Amino acid sequence: MIRFEHVNKTYPNGLKAVCNLSLEIEEGETLVLLGTSGSGKTTTMKMVNRLIEPTEGRILIEDTDIMEQDPIRLRRKIGYAIQHIGLFPHMTVAENIAVVPKLLKWSEDKIDKRICELLSLVGLQPEQFRLCYPAQLSGGQQQRIGVARALAADPPIVLMDEPFGALDPITREQLQNEFIELETEIKKTIIFVTHDVFEAVKMGDRIALLDAGVLQQLAAPVELVDNPANEFVDQFLGQHRFQLSLLTKTLKTIIPQINQETASEKSSVPPLCLKVNSSLIEALDIFKKTGKVTLPVYQKCLFVGNLQKAALLKAITDILGETGGTT
Amino acid sequence: MNTVTSFLQKLGPEILSRTYEHIYLVFFAMVIATITALFVGVYLTRCRWPKLVSIIMGVAGTVQTIPSLALIAFIVVIFAFVKLPTIGTVPALVALVLYALLPILRNTYTGIKQVDSSIVEVATGMGMKPHQILFSVELPLSLPVIMAGIRISAVWTIGVATLCGLIGAGGLGDLIIKGLRSIRPDYLLAGTLPAAALALVFDWILGLVEKWLTPEGLRASVENQV
Repeated sequence: MIRFEHVNKTYPNGLKAVCNLSLEIEEGETLVLLGTSGSGKTTTMKMVNRLIEPTEGRILIEDTDIMEQDPIRLRRKIGYAIQHIGLFPHMTVAENIAVVPKLLKWSEDKIDKRICELLSLVGLQPEQFRLCYPAQLSGGQQQRIGVARALAADPPIVLMDEPFGALDPITREQLQNEFIELETEIKKTIIFVTHDVFEAVKMGDRIALLDAGVLQQLAAPVELVDNPANEFVDQFLGQHRFQLSLLTKTLKTIIPQINQETASEKSSVPPLCLKVNSSLIEALDIFKKTGKVTLPVYQKCLFVGNLQKAALLKAITDILGETGGTT
Repeated sequence: MNTVTSFLQKLGPEILSRTYEHIYLVFFAMVIATITALFVGVYLTRCRWPKLVSIIMGVAGTVQTIPSLALIAFIVVIFAFVKLPTIGTVPALVALVLYALLPILRNTYTGIKQVDSSIVEVATGMGMKPHQILFSVELPLSLPVIMAGIRISAVWTIGVATLCGLIGAGGLGDLIIKGLRSIRPDYLLAGTLPAAALALVFDWILGLVEKWLTPEGLRASVENQV
């Protein structure tokens, strides 16, 4: 879908923001660009919609070099969301969302319908919010509008630059969860920039860890946490290794082989239950909430076995031993 | 009460015609200055040569430091050299326009420059063309600042325009000069009071225009809750 081929970006003052970056982003995947400030993650993202142009190398979207496309048309096909400051303060919520559809000359009716659709999608009442101004909304609401606006013209690609960066931890987590759910519905190719390793692990299908413009590791979250490619990655994860392992490891890895014979279809799955793709931390949380010592594990509607709380705790202690982490 | 009516009876018609001249001068000077300053101001924000920005701002600032009486005198002298009319409306308008330019120019420039760069970047990233960014993002967001410049400029121009009576451009300055020459307080008042009232009225009207033009989302009155 998006391919970087030996991309370099050197600023006129000689600063190398991105060095020889090659990577490919699959259709429908969420790639997180992770790194400290100055690592080149935002530069990398902004090169996709040509807000910044590479000095060397090529970036291809669906096999077309973006430098050969009209930047205006290219940008209108790519959703763009940044920290909440990005809403236009002089436009209503509806007008903000309608910016790109209007640029694309959609009909009034179509725009109107789209606004309602998107507001409901991000969990805001269209009637209540469409005529509000950004200053009247809370940070979380503004950010939801930001996401809705990025999705307005239904672009296949969405760029998000620390979209939840300016929020308090609780709202932030809530929005992250909502966005993960939303993502499964909308199936976009997303490039997500963050400096927060927990957010990266949570949001990303794959994570590209950058340092000083150089790609250090490109891997799925579990892989990144379990097998850091080099010392930098190891250090970057640092003391968070233990928590990250609990977040990325799923029950699948600690339950013995799923026994197809004992597996049976259940008509009803209790609302509070373990799933094979639940993370260890989620599992621990569910044990705590239910107060039981044994809980059934499901794969979608399929019952795959029981998990003892003791087994989970042992797995967690094992990880603690491996990572030598501190909690 | 009697003195007021006799005052108005005697000077009323003249006050009216001088006020009309005054408004005429100020209005055209402001229209020309606003249009010029907006164009130049917007151009300067797009200008990739910072030197030019500081030169133009410097020149406009220098003009402002010249005492208004001296500026009018200079224009008359320069006009005499290049054989343009040295009395009447034309030199007066030129002086007023030069004087009115700076506040509008400076506020247009700084107003657009102070628009959050990340907002402009988002607009670019969403695929707006430069002129769309100017008209639907930068100008609406800098409007309060630009309007403040226009209001300051209008009030100043009304004051400076009283001096244009000296070069035969008419206006309320005529009455003030007459009063000064003949030590007649009624003429002085007949010139001064309408000029002060005009400044207030102009400022009030421009305030209404500002309110009408300012995007609703930027108004302070927007309540902070849904």
